[in-house]
Amino acid sequence: MKTRLFLPLAFALLVTGIKADNEVYRTWTDTQGRKLEATFRGIENGQVFLQVRNGYVYRLPLDKLSAEDQQAAKTLKPEGLGIPADPNLAQAAARIDMLVDAGLKKAEQKSNPLASDEQFVRRVFLDLAGRIPTREESLEFLNDTSLSKRAKVIDRLLNSEGYNSHLFNYLADMLRMADISQKVRFYTYQDWLKSQIADNIPWNKMVYSMMTADGKLLENGATGYLLRDAGMRLDNLSLTLSTFLGANVSCAQCHDHPFADWTQRQFYEMAAFFGATETFGAKKGPKSEDAAMMRKAVASLGDQRMQKQAKNLVQVNAMAIDDGEVNDMKLPDDYKYSDAKPGDHVAPKLVTWSDDKSKKAYQGVQTKSEEDLRSQFAKWMTSPDNPRFAMTIANRMWKRIFGVGIKEPVSDLDDPNASVNPPLLHHLAAEMVRVKFDLKQFMRLLCNTQTYQREATSHELADNIPYLFPGPILRRMSAEQAWDSCATLVVGADVDKFKSHRGEQYSKALHIEFGKDASPETIKTQIETALTNMRGFAGKAQGNPKNNAKKKRMMKQAAGQGDEEDLTISPPVRDGLVLARASELPQPEKDQHFLRMFGQSDRQIADSESEEGSIPQVLMLMNGEAQRVIGQNDSLVVKTASTQKTPEQQVESLYLSFFSRKPKADELANSVAALGNGLTMRDLTWVLFNAREFVFVE
Amino acid sequence: MNLQNQLDPITRRAFCERWAQTALGVTVLHGTAGSLFAAEAAKPSAAPSGPGYGKAKNVIFLQMMGGMTHIDTLDPKDGPTQGPKKPLGTKAGFQLGGIMENLAKNADKISIIRSMTSKTGVHAAGQYVIRSGYEQRGTIKHPNIGAWAQHFKGSSHKTLPSSVCVNRQPQNGNGFFPTSYSPLPILDPDAGLQYAESDASPESLIKRLVLLDQIDAGFRDRFQTTEVKAYTQFYDKTMSIMTSTDLEAFQLTDEPDALKEKYGRNKFGQGCLLACRLVEKGIRYIEVAKGGWDMHNNIDDALDEHGAELDVALSALLDDLKERGLLESTLVVLCSEFGRGPKINGNGGRDHHPKVFSTLLAGGGIKGGFIYGSSDKEGMAVADKQTSPQDFLSTIGWSLGLPVDEVVMSPSNRPFTVGDKGKPVMDLFA
Repeated sequence: MKTRLFLPLAFALLVTGIKADNEVYRTWTDTQGRKLEATFRGIENGQVFLQVRNGYVYRLPLDKLSAEDQQAAKTLKPEGLGIPADPNLAQAAARIDMLVDAGLKKAEQKSNPLASDEQFVRRVFLDLAGRIPTREESLEFLNDTSLSKRAKVIDRLLNSEGYNSHLFNYLADMLRMADISQKVRFYTYQDWLKSQIADNIPWNKMVYSMMTADGKLLENGATGYLLRDAGMRLDNLSLTLSTFLGANVSCAQCHDHPFADWTQRQFYEMAAFFGATETFGAKKGPKSEDAAMMRKAVASLGDQRMQKQAKNLVQVNAMAIDDGEVNDMKLPDDYKYSDAKPGDHVAPKLVTWSDDKSKKAYQGVQTKSEEDLRSQFAKWMTSPDNPRFAMTIANRMWKRIFGVGIKEPVSDLDDPNASVNPPLLHHLAAEMVRVKFDLKQFMRLLCNTQTYQREATSHELADNIPYLFPGPILRRMSAEQAWDSCATLVVGADVDKFKSHRGEQYSKALHIEFGKDASPETIKTQIETALTNMRGFAGKAQGNPKNNAKKKRMMKQAAGQGDEEDLTISPPVRDGLVLARASELPQPEKDQHFLRMFGQSDRQIADSESEEGSIPQVLMLMNGEAQRVIGQNDSLVVKTASTQKTPEQQVESLYLSFFSRKPKADELANSVAALGNGLTMRDLTWVLFNAREFVFVE
Repeated sequence: MNLQNQLDPITRRAFCERWAQTALGVTVLHGTAGSLFAAEAAKPSAAPSGPGYGKAKNVIFLQMMGGMTHIDTLDPKDGPTQGPKKPLGTKAGFQLGGIMENLAKNADKISIIRSMTSKTGVHAAGQYVIRSGYEQRGTIKHPNIGAWAQHFKGSSHKTLPSSVCVNRQPQNGNGFFPTSYSPLPILDPDAGLQYAESDASPESLIKRLVLLDQIDAGFRDRFQTTEVKAYTQFYDKTMSIMTSTDLEAFQLTDEPDALKEKYGRNKFGQGCLLACRLVEKGIRYIEVAKGGWDMHNNIDDALDEHGAELDVALSALLDDLKERGLLESTLVVLCSEFGRGPKINGNGGRDHHPKVFSTLLAGGGIKGGFIYGSSDKEGMAVADKQTSPQDFLSTIGWSLGLPVDEVVMSPSNRPFTVGDKGKPVMDLFA
C-alpha cells in the first residue's frame, strides 16, 4: 500500500522539476519571439542544445535564436558534461537524476562533482565492456572534442563484443553456470545464454525460456537452468524466487520464515508448479522405452570399463526435461504446522506480496492442466505486471554500475519501501517495463544519467546510514574485469575477438539418436563413436581453448592459409596463461587460476563472486604469472611504451595504459627518477599493476 | 628464499622502517573484521567448562576425500563383510583394519567414534557437512572450525595466517566470516607456499615497493575506504609473510630425510609433516586432505596404496607430535564424508555408505585407546551412540575451547553456531 502513496509523489517531482544546485535556467527566445526556459548544455556544429525542466533536450539551429541569445550561446559555459544524442533518452535520464537528487536533498546531502573524462572513460569501459580501455581507446575518447562524446562511447560499448562477454560473466555468477554439473557438461547452456545476450533478447523472454524449456540438454541449451539442479527442485525453486523475484524464501524451504511473511506451505505451493516436471534422467516420461533400449545397448558392450563410460554417455543424453501428467509435490515428512499433514499433496498456488493480488499478472493463471503448470508459472513470473520481476532485474542492473543496490541484498525485495529510495526503485521498475526488458536500452539509460557520470564516493560508507547515490561507489574490479584487463594490457583490444563455442562441438560429438527405428546394433555403433569423441572432452583436451587453438591452427595451416596469428581462432598463450576473455575460458576456472584467486565464483552459490583481497591473491599479484606476462617485452603495454623516446614519455604511455590518465607531476618525477635509479620498464609495469588504483574502479 | 637475510644491513633497515609495523596489520585486520560480527553476536552464554575444554591449542584436521571405508580401517569386521585383509589386534584391546599396521602400535594414543552417521551419500555435499556442520546451500557459505576459532580467539601468529589447508583449495573455509579468515592453501607440500618468492632481486623489489608506496599514496589518501585499506593491509601482511623469519615453516627442506621417509614420500605424508611443522610455529588450524578413497573397484589394491599411506603418515604424525611435546596441545582428527558399504560389489569394490562410518581423534585432551559407539555386526548401521557430523565438529570446538552454544549472526542476519547445535561427545575426553 505504501507503494501507491509514493508513486504520485514521484510524478509530482517530475512535473515541477527539481533544480539541482549547479544548474542555471534562463529564458531563451527565438527569432519568432517564442520562449523556452532551459539550461544551456552546449553548442556544436551550429546547433544549440537546451534542456528544459522535464529533462528534454532541444536542439536548435543557432541562427534561429534571437541575436542576444546567439551571443549568450557563444559565451555561456555549458552546464553538465556533454549531451545525450537522443532528446528522449536525455529526458528519461534526467528523471532518474531528479529522483536521486530528491533523495539526497531530503537527507540534506550533496551529489559528488562530475567525473573527469579520464575517470569516466575507464569506468564506462569496465562497466559496459568489462575491461579497461587500451591506451589508444582512452586517447581517442580524451582527444574527442564533441559534446556528445560520452553518449557516443556508451553506445559504442553497448554494441561491442565486450558488452556480451561482461553481461555473460554477471549472469553466469547469478545462475551458477558451471561447465560440469552431475558429471555432465553444460556447454550448450552457456552457448545458449551467450547467443541470447548477443541477440539482445529481452530479459523477460530469456527467463521465460529458461523456465519452460523442454527436451534434451544437448539439443536445447535453455534446459540448463532447471537441469543444473536436476533432482533438487526445491533448491532450484528457492533460487528462482530469490534470483528473479527477490523473494527471500530460503528459510521457508524448511520452516516458516522467521522474519517475513513466507510460510513453508506457501513455498511448497509454489514448488507444485514444478511438481509434474521431471528433470532427473527423464525416467517417467514418454522416453522411458528409449532409456530401456539404451541400457540394453550398454549392457551389450564388451568390457566393463567401456560399460562404465557408456553409462556416463547415457546420462549425458538422458539429461532432459519432460512434463508428466501427475503433480507429485507433497509436503515434507517433518511438516509441523497444523494446517496440513506431512506428506499431503500440495496444489499449486502463486505467492502474493501484501497488496499486489489485484495485479493483472495473477489473472488467468489456471492450475488445472498439469502439463501447463510451468508455463503458467513462467507467464506470471515474467509478466510486466508482476510486482517484483522488473524491479528485481532493474535493481540488479543498477547495482552493476553503481556498486550497490537501491535495495540490498538484491535477492530480497520483499519490501521495496525498505529501500533507500523507494520512488527511485519503483521508477526504475517502471522504466524496465517501458523499455520492454531490453537490458541494453536500460543500461544506456543508466549510463547517460548525471548520477552515473559523477565522481566515485571517496568516503567510507557507514553501516547504518543509507547510501543515497551522490555518485557510484568506489569498487574493486570483479575477478573477470581484472583478468580481462590484464589480458588487454598484453594483447590490446583484440582480446575481445576469441569466442569458444564449445556447446556445438560437444553436442555433436556426444549426441545419440535412439528413436523407435534404432536397432540395438546401430545404437551400439553410435555409442562407440560417441565414446571415442567423449575421451576428447574427458581431459582438458576439447574444453580447453589452448588445445582447440592448436588443432584449429593446424587445420588452417594444412589448408594452406598461413600461420599468422588469427585471434578469432586462437587466443595468445603466454607462460601458460590463455589470454582470452574470462567468458571464453572454463566456467569456473580451475582453483589456482588468476580468476579464482581474484574471487571468481566457484558457481556453487548464486552471486558469490568475491571482491575481497586475500594473501594468496596478493602473493599472486606480486609474484605470479600475470605480472610477469604484463611486463615482458612482447606485451603490448611494454611494446608501446618502448617506442617512446624519453623516459617521461614512456612513463606517460604506461600511465595511460594502466590508469587511462597522464601522470601527475610528482608521479612522473618519482617514476622517472626510479627509472634512472636501476628500475626497468618491467619494474614500472609491476608497480602500476600492484597499485590500488589499478584494481579499483573510480 | 628468506628475503630479509639476503639484504645488506642498510637496505634491510630502510625496508623494515616501512614494513616493520606489518605485524600490527594482523591485529588491526582482525579487529576491524571481527567487530562487524561481534556486535551482532547473541548474548554470550556463561563460559562453558568441563573435561577437556580448551585443552587443544591447535587442530590438525585430516580429511579423507571419497568416502573412507570404515570396515577396512577403523571398524573392522570378521564376518562375511570383512574385506581383503584380516583385522589386527592392538594393545588397547580393540581391533583395527588389516592395513593399519603402524596405527595398531599407536592404538593407545587414539579414540575412535564408530557410530558416525550422515544424511548424504553425495561426495561434495558430504565433504561440506563434515567440514562445516551445515548442509550446502546456494545462498550462504559456512565456516570451518579454523574460521570459527579465529572469530572467537583472534589470530594465532604474528606474521603467518592462523589457518592453512594442505593439498586442497580453501573452498570458502572462512564461510560468512571475512576472507582474511580463509585458510592459506598449500597445494604441494614439497613446493611450499605458492608465489612466496619475488622474481625480482631483493634490491629491485625494495625499489619497486618504495615507488609503489609513493605513487599509490595519492589514491590511498583520496579513497580512505575499508576496501582500499584492507588491500593495503593485505599487501603489508603479504610482505610480512614474504619476509617472515618463520616463512621456513612452509619449507620441508629443513626436515631430515629420515623423518620425511617416516611420514611416507607422498603428498599426504609430506602434508602431515608440514602440518606438524606449522603447529610448532604456532599456526592454529591445519587441514590436510587426501584423495583416493572412492574405492568402487578393486578395493584390495586401492587399500594397499591409500590405506597404507594413511597408516604410515598418521602414525608418524602422532609419534612426531609426541616427540616434539605437542600432542597434548594438539588435537588430531581424521574424518571422511561417509563410509563404504559392507557388501563387496561386482567390481571388487565397496559403494558409498553414509549410514554408518568412523572418525578418529587423538591428542588435545582426548582419551587414548578408547572406542566410542559401535556399528552392527556387518558394519551396516549404527548399533549404539549415534553420532552426527555436527556432534563431531562440536567435539573439536569444545576441545579448542570455543563457545559451541553461542549464536553468531551472519551478515545476512541468520543464526549459526559452531557445529550447528551438535553435542560434544564428552566421553571422549580424559
